[in-house]
Amino acid sequence: MKKFFALLKVSVKSMLLSSSGMGRKNRKKAATGIGAILLIAGLGLYLSGLYSSMLMQVLAPVHMEVLVFIFMGMAALVGGMIFTAFAAKGVVFGGKDNDLLLSMPVSSTALMASRVTAIYLENLLFSLFILAPAGAVCAFMTQGDVGHSLMFWVRLLVAVLALPLLDTALSVLMGALVAFVSAKLAKGGVIGQNIVMALYMVLVFWFAFNLNGMLEGLAADAMGVKESLSWAAPMLWMADGIMGDWTALLLFALCCAIPFALMVFGLGKVYRKAVTAFAARSARNDYKLSAQSAAGQKKALLRMELRRLFGIPMYFWNSCIGLMMLVAMGVAALVMRSDLRMYLGMLEGFPLMPLAALMMGFCLSMTAIAAPSISLEGKYLWILREAPVGERELLGLKTGFELLFSIPCTVIAGVCLTIALELPPLEGAALLAAVLLFDLAHAVFGMLVGLAFPKLDAVNETVVVKQSMAVMLGMFVPMAVLGLCALLYWVGGMASPALAMALPLALLAVLAAVCTLILVKKGPAMLRAL
Amino acid sequence: MLRIEHYSKTYPGGKKAVDDLTLHVRPGEIYGFIGHNGAGKTTTLRAVAGVMDFTEGTITIDGHDVKKDPVGAKRVTAFLPDNPDLYEFMKGIDYLNFIADLYDIPADQRTADIGKFGDAFELTGNLGSPIGSYSHGMRQKLALISAFIRRPRLLILDEPFVGLDPSASHIMKGYLADLCRGGSAVFFSTHVLEVAEKLCHQIAIIKDGRLVKCGPTDELVGDSSLEDVFLELEGDK
Repeated sequence: MKKFFALLKVSVKSMLLSSSGMGRKNRKKAATGIGAILLIAGLGLYLSGLYSSMLMQVLAPVHMEVLVFIFMGMAALVGGMIFTAFAAKGVVFGGKDNDLLLSMPVSSTALMASRVTAIYLENLLFSLFILAPAGAVCAFMTQGDVGHSLMFWVRLLVAVLALPLLDTALSVLMGALVAFVSAKLAKGGVIGQNIVMALYMVLVFWFAFNLNGMLEGLAADAMGVKESLSWAAPMLWMADGIMGDWTALLLFALCCAIPFALMVFGLGKVYRKAVTAFAARSARNDYKLSAQSAAGQKKALLRMELRRLFGIPMYFWNSCIGLMMLVAMGVAALVMRSDLRMYLGMLEGFPLMPLAALMMGFCLSMTAIAAPSISLEGKYLWILREAPVGERELLGLKTGFELLFSIPCTVIAGVCLTIALELPPLEGAALLAAVLLFDLAHAVFGMLVGLAFPKLDAVNETVVVKQSMAVMLGMFVPMAVLGLCALLYWVGGMASPALAMALPLALLAVLAAVCTLILVKKGPAMLRAL
Repeated sequence: MLRIEHYSKTYPGGKKAVDDLTLHVRPGEIYGFIGHNGAGKTTTLRAVAGVMDFTEGTITIDGHDVKKDPVGAKRVTAFLPDNPDLYEFMKGIDYLNFIADLYDIPADQRTADIGKFGDAFELTGNLGSPIGSYSHGMRQKLALISAFIRRPRLLILDEPFVGLDPSASHIMKGYLADLCRGGSAVFFSTHVLEVAEKLCHQIAIIKDGRLVKCGPTDELVGDSSLEDVFLELEGDK
């Protein structure tokens, strides 16, 4: 047990260092890191509280509070799986310290358990941030006094602790599948991994959309919705358990703990074998050299960035999911514009242009190509430092690489939404201008935080892409800027519609200009100092 | 070719890694740089290669000041660190083309040089595989090939013999000599004193960040051996 906790401490410390900056010598950076974590936690609690209270308003009058926990539990499960399934492959099976740790006198089951527990702790945060506000909402808004007893909170705590076990078991199995596919398909490993991840994302989004459909039918037939959820029995047990049914809670806890234990002990037994098999790749010896072609410096660097983006599935899926959502949203709006207009007809008088801009901005915020770019260089940074390329050009190219993808996606989505929402030409132009400015500011800001919060010693790309401070700040600060833009639109709207459009545009233009200026002036020195 | 004048490097926290180092490497010379672990060899080599910033002094490569004209200096230099980590997501041939593109090496020249050095180091057949599947020695060879195809005026090597098999070491020594015959210079660190003694025209010994002795190998060693001289200077004998 002592060894297990020592191993766990290493995993958790590495996770905390990469995501919060705790333990950094630079106090200012550490404080910023902790501040960002608190901001994200606050945002999570707020969103969860908001959705829980919206659901509770509908369900409490018909005494179906239990459904709040079913839906929030599902949200925690799906959210956790999206965030940790991709991480599991790298953290559990692809750690670069595997050789070191496997050579030590610790059982492979203990090592496996320590790695899996680190994933569990990450899922636990999800579970806590989503279920705790639901509990608080239940305590305040329910018509009975179920939420007022101490035992209610004890039962909620059991659910919060148990749910991530199921999440972790599913994520780790998914990680093992991805690792297996990439090892088996030696030549098309990357393609295989991408296919598995694409299927997984389709499955998760299908589930999320179905969940959304169920939510729409809630007010009309809450009991019917609950009965239709028999396929998600563990979630029903969890919700019934929280509301007072101890037997259901026990069933739920067993349903989470048994797969987790089976996964830890089952995969633990073959961990050494699995890690060896997943890592075994031997170089082929059949290459025939033919005439090579030359390209310029910029083309070479862009090709390298492209190879990295498409060669590391973890990087590709995490960085580009926002852009995929952006294009999908625009195209879907255009294809289903008649349905969309009918639905929007109900929001009479609601300004559509800022709504479209916010949705596009949200998708762009989730794009993190520039933010992890410097950290992904990591141990390879010497190659670029040694190369005859100016630091400013290098940073410009890395920032431009994100824009190379995001600008076309933004334009496609912007045009599609302008047509679908029948926006007047001026509003359409303002929408595109605002989102393109946001896009520019986001990419440059991403590069700046990448330089300010580098993670050059990460044990694998997963840590950089999923947990690094730069990626988190690169996503959540732009989301906060979107909030500020919405506020300015509202304030400006009180004076005139023109001012409502002008204020957010001005803010975005200033932010883009300031970020670019800082990157140009300070960026090279920041890169040199790494 | 390489002029290091009063170079000092102080790390954050005040630790002086290198103190007032002055050293000149002439064209056609193989210059060995030896010292115990932590003496300041790697810090110096990294500063010369433009990979690490430094606090005091000037470093000039073929007339290009490393601080004032870093791109110009890097264009005539090739650097090989002690543990060359290369992009694992690239194939060997892609990495060589990437480096060749960064140095504007014409297509014909790169094809010929990749073939020549690839065959010599017995790596041509593996160039189609991802670097992630290479052994440590194969990565070392690939990094060496990427350095040689640049035809550098100054080749900087940090512990180049670590990880190389005897045959590859022998081939590398031959190419280092060829490079110097063409008017380039080699500046390298090593712990293998026998090799340094046989290979180098000049040797510098560094201790605790300060240059303690330098000069032509014959004069430095005299009737003794480099190992004896080194141990004596280090105070271990």
